[in-house]
Amino acid sequence: MQDENERLELLAKAKQLVAHIETNDAEATGELLCSMTIDRERSLFKEVGQLTRQLHDNLSSFALDDQLIDLTGKEIPDAKERLNYVIEMTDDAAHKTLNAIDEIVPVTAEMNRKCEELSVKWKRFLGRELSLDEFKAMSGEISSFLDSSCANTKIVSDKTNEIVLAQGYQDLTGQIIRKVISLVQNVENNLVELVRISGSQADETAMQNETKKGVLEGPVVPGVVVEGTVNSQDEVDDLLSSLGF
Amino acid sequence: MDKNMKILVVDDFSTMRRIVKNLLRELEFTNLDEADDGQTAWPKLKAGGYDFLVTDWNMPGMTGIELLKTVRANPETANMPVLMVTAEQKREQIIEAAQAGVNGYIIKPFTAATLKEKIDKIFARNAG
Repeated sequence: MQDENERLELLAKAKQLVAHIETNDAEATGELLCSMTIDRERSLFKEVGQLTRQLHDNLSSFALDDQLIDLTGKEIPDAKERLNYVIEMTDDAAHKTLNAIDEIVPVTAEMNRKCEELSVKWKRFLGRELSLDEFKAMSGEISSFLDSSCANTKIVSDKTNEIVLAQGYQDLTGQIIRKVISLVQNVENNLVELVRISGSQADETAMQNETKKGVLEGPVVPGVVVEGTVNSQDEVDDLLSSLGF
Repeated sequence: MDKNMKILVVDDFSTMRRIVKNLLRELEFTNLDEADDGQTAWPKLKAGGYDFLVTDWNMPGMTGIELLKTVRANPETANMPVLMVTAEQKREQIIEAAQAGVNGYIIKPFTAATLKEKIDKIFARNAG
């Protein structure tokens, strides 16, 4: 209806313009042309305004999208926690390993030194170069070496075991990093969507909407709250025993 | 407890398989085999000869819980003791594993003492 009015108004103005030109009224012609240009500009502004409003609404609704809120409000901060935990775990594992080696090295070095010392004496004994007193002294040394060897090899074996256990970080960090990778993928998809909404000619990439159900949470990360998780082996044991285990 | 029993260790991370096998060796179990997920583990278990299954939960292909359910559903393996060693620590998951018939549940990271305790408990109960 408004368009029709605008059309009639324009038509009236055009007829008047023709009349002005026919009567050779330059002043009136100029004035009318000017007012028509202003009208034209006004409707252009209106259109630009409408487009801007539409874009703004689209962007607002995009920002309110649950997934995006989840992403910016929770998942990205969580990812930071997760990655920090990866650093912590790898750091911890490296230190545990190095500490264990620090304890192994002096023990094996001492055993090696004592071995070489006794080996020289033993060869002299085999060559019948040892006096009775020297032989008695060597016997004592061999006895104490055997005793200390038992204790030392136990230390080495225990420490080696600690080193093996410390490698467990690789599994846990691997799982955490995989989760962060899938988050990054998700962020990428959302950015593509943003570009699409903002009117660019970007290719539309189908958003992958993963269902939350059935997704395995993986390792619990300090600072990342996941509802309904246990915090220790003791809690697992308690839960199982409450189920009759 | 028979230290010669054949144990299958299932985990998609080779380091974790090594750790578990090392700990089992430390506990004087020597008859050890491994698989990297349920899909590779199941044919081995089905073929027979295994006495004990130690499995992770979150694995590509076939998960540990699916493997557990498959083991329980088959008469030849239904009574095999199964120990789950996993990073999954949601209550509902622990309950799901219990309902599926798991014999023990250990969360990662774990200690040698925990592994020993759970294995002792499983076989003490099975013997009694």
